[in-house]
Amino acid sequence: MSAVHDHSHDHNHPHAEITQDGGPGYYDLMTAAVTELLVERGLFEAGEICRQIDVLDSRTPALGAKAVARAWMDPDFKRRLLADGRVGCEELGISFYDDTQLIVLENTERVHNLIVCTLCSCYPRPVLGLPPDWYKLKPYRARAISEPRAVLAEFGAQIPDDVEVRVSDSTAIVRYLVLPRRPAGTEQFSESELANLVTRDTMIGVAVIDPPGAPRQ
Amino acid sequence: MTDTEQLTKRLPNDIGGTSSDPIVWSDHEMAPWEKRCHALADVLDFHKIINTEEKRRGVESLGSEMVGKLTYYERWIVCFANLLYQKQILHPSDLARKMDEVAARFAEPAPSAES
Repeated sequence: MSAVHDHSHDHNHPHAEITQDGGPGYYDLMTAAVTELLVERGLFEAGEICRQIDVLDSRTPALGAKAVARAWMDPDFKRRLLADGRVGCEELGISFYDDTQLIVLENTERVHNLIVCTLCSCYPRPVLGLPPDWYKLKPYRARAISEPRAVLAEFGAQIPDDVEVRVSDSTAIVRYLVLPRRPAGTEQFSESELANLVTRDTMIGVAVIDPPGAPRQ
Repeated sequence: MTDTEQLTKRLPNDIGGTSSDPIVWSDHEMAPWEKRCHALADVLDFHKIINTEEKRRGVESLGSEMVGKLTYYERWIVCFANLLYQKQILHPSDLARKMDEVAARFAEPAPSAES
């Protein structure tokens, strides 16, 4: 039995990746070999890797959007979410599979929030899934804290000069999620209609939510 | 400030506030091995074998050349191997042998489609 081969279910991680010369790549082999050795030594079971892949696959920005939409609809929930992001999300059935804490940052008329991890790639994975590549690359990590308005402009987000831009730098155990502003003209929207407006980038803070029907900026 | 002073103040990953290129929107579909590598990181954390902070420091200590040239998950798996050696959980010769074994398994003629 091996960690590489014993996946019995049929999603998209069957084997070590096949490179052009027909075999798995060097780092792919290394990943498989480290996993197998640790399984052989009894440090964990091969099935735990498969189960964690399922967990990772189950995490998408739709979870964060659900929390945002609920916060817009329910002031009491919003209070609890802002007091402790993790407890608020768990209330909606969004489990945290790691030891991270979550701080939810509310955008207002006066403050626009942006999240980054300057040291590496810390991100609220339980509620947003895995971060996009640009979040992990140098330009965003280097510049977000020193020239956030320029960075936001490159994403197409214009923040008025009289709105403070606040940047929060994530750590291994403290992660952030932006609670975007509810756009005008959505008073009659249902919670799921509201959730559909909330994108990953608006919860990172590199985008703002346009009012429904407005032309894209 | 001299060049060497700057080196003492910033590890390779400590880039917040430095100048850099314009943002290029980029993302990619994770390769299956990358997803397995990510799951491995989580499982190592759950079992308190390697936590997130150790992983970050392990990637830093790869040095600027490897940090610059390896891809994201390539850095992770090399870092895990190094940390497992340091913790004396694995020996480099164990890994070399196992990598040969896994490579040999893939070099075997493909089994029938049902297996």
